[in-house]
Amino acid sequence: MTQKLVVALPKGRILNEAMPLLRRAGIEPEPAFDDPASRLLRFTTNIPGLEIVRVRSFDVATFVAFGAAQMGIAGNDVLMEFQYPEIYAPLDLGIGRCHMAVAEPAALRAEDDPGRWSHIRVATKYPGITRRHFAARGVQAECIHLNGAMELAPSLGLCRRIVDLVSSGETLRANGLVEVERIAEVTSRLIVNRAAAKTRPAHLAGWIDRFQGALDAAAIA
Amino acid sequence: MTDYAELALLPEGLHDDLPPFAGHEARSIERLVSQFEAQGYERVKPPLIEFEESLLAGPGAGIARHMFRLMDPISQRMMGLRADMTTQVARIAATRLKDAPRPLRLCYAGQVLRVRGSQLRPERQYAQSGVELIGAEGVAGDTEVVFLAADALQALGIQGLSVDLTLPSLVPLLTQALGLKGAEGEAARQALDARDGAAIEALAPAVRQQLGDLMRAAGPAKNALERLAGLNLPAPARALCDHLAALVKGLDQANSGLTLTIDPGESRGFEYQTGVSFSLFADGVRGELGRGGRYALSSGESAIGFTLYLDSLMRAVPGLAAAARLYLPFGTSGARARQLRTEGWCTVQGLDGGANPEEEARHLACNHILRGDQAQALS
Repeated sequence: MTQKLVVALPKGRILNEAMPLLRRAGIEPEPAFDDPASRLLRFTTNIPGLEIVRVRSFDVATFVAFGAAQMGIAGNDVLMEFQYPEIYAPLDLGIGRCHMAVAEPAALRAEDDPGRWSHIRVATKYPGITRRHFAARGVQAECIHLNGAMELAPSLGLCRRIVDLVSSGETLRANGLVEVERIAEVTSRLIVNRAAAKTRPAHLAGWIDRFQGALDAAAIA
Repeated sequence: MTDYAELALLPEGLHDDLPPFAGHEARSIERLVSQFEAQGYERVKPPLIEFEESLLAGPGAGIARHMFRLMDPISQRMMGLRADMTTQVARIAATRLKDAPRPLRLCYAGQVLRVRGSQLRPERQYAQSGVELIGAEGVAGDTEVVFLAADALQALGIQGLSVDLTLPSLVPLLTQALGLKGAEGEAARQALDARDGAAIEALAPAVRQQLGDLMRAAGPAKNALERLAGLNLPAPARALCDHLAALVKGLDQANSGLTLTIDPGESRGFEYQTGVSFSLFADGVRGELGRGGRYALSSGESAIGFTLYLDSLMRAVPGLAAAARLYLPFGTSGARARQLRTEGWCTVQGLDGGANPEEEARHLACNHILRGDQAQALS
């Protein structure tokens, strides 16, 4: 019996890094997957019953948490933001490497003492992580939820501080911002729906092993 | 008219159940309870509201933040609306029924209320049904309860049922033996619960291998037991695993159609469990259908039980076949109607002599009509 397996992948930067791993694990999507003109959202693969859906990175976690997809690839930034108890993250794929940091304008940094903060206003795509991070230090963080271009917020006076992903630090520098504090290291993880892992343990474990094999092969190559 | 539409708005997480679902759910609950009763579990009915302290005693401590509270104007004491019925049944067993012969078998069904739903289970009010077996330690009692849960669910027609067994006290024993204290132990426990490979890799090298092996031991019961047998465990943890192996053997003999899995690293939500615990899943159904495990009553007595969550469970129960509804034209005698009902019909009496019987029958969603004293199908 072929069991249906839906794999959710994030659109954009991570996808380019993830595809070689998927191919090493033996998954080859239909040609439309690599056709930029295609409007499809669901793709079949060379594996009968295995389908790929391409969604926004935050939505990968939601699809997998609700069991709409049984497996997926998501950054731990997204996993930390939602903290879905229904997601397992058995493998660190080591791709999409960056970190999450608090940043503020260089001029402000010169006179600022983060140790004395009691309330701060932060523009971020990650209100959950931001609030928890500051609450753990006794600081109340008021979050302004933005979906992108956080770096613009300080220069336009929306608020002075941001929490965002940093990879090279180039975007921060270009906008006159400096890092104040590192919150977490970020990489992409192979994630699995908890109920699927319990009801189809052998099937899902087989795929986790194939991805582990693909990772090991990549490490040797 | 818009005023009426607005009146229909209910608070978040609450909803009206309509026909045919409301009846379907009620019948499913009754079938569950009759399964429990058929195996000697007697029904108890605790109140919806009671004093806060008794709801939060012993195994109830974990539900404090889920509970609605109100002040009792009579005693001026704080009362809680039950968010879980296990505590109430445990209270009954430890107090009013403390002298009843052991092992004591009790079952229950009722509505519970919680302050907040989760994103996956948004319901704030839902029905629970379950059993408690009090005063029977050992594998025989564990087997009876797990088997009863599986049996009752399969009797409702649920397909692809799987029971995930866990040992909530295993991880604390292991972290203790590995010398992990406080925050370190907590981090290890969380990593195992979330099967977070990266978090386990981040632990100290001496610990990483052991806990990683424990995480990878999760899976089909037979494989998991083999892998557990290969682990270097402290003696009390080894005893737990032996107990689990005996339980798996017993369950395999009792119900071969059941998928059994073991997750030795899981402990979240089982903070008050002291022995074997389990969660119930159905293939393709989101979330757990129920969970159970062994715990201690406030009197110290050992008990094992389970609770089924009707909101999740009903997603796994097969849909209804359309009920046979028989339309009785105006003027059908009461005696004849009663006779038809004893034959098993659901009858719908016509109340308007002027109406066309066939049109009226269709209008009222009847699929049969009484014609010339014969029940005939309506095409």
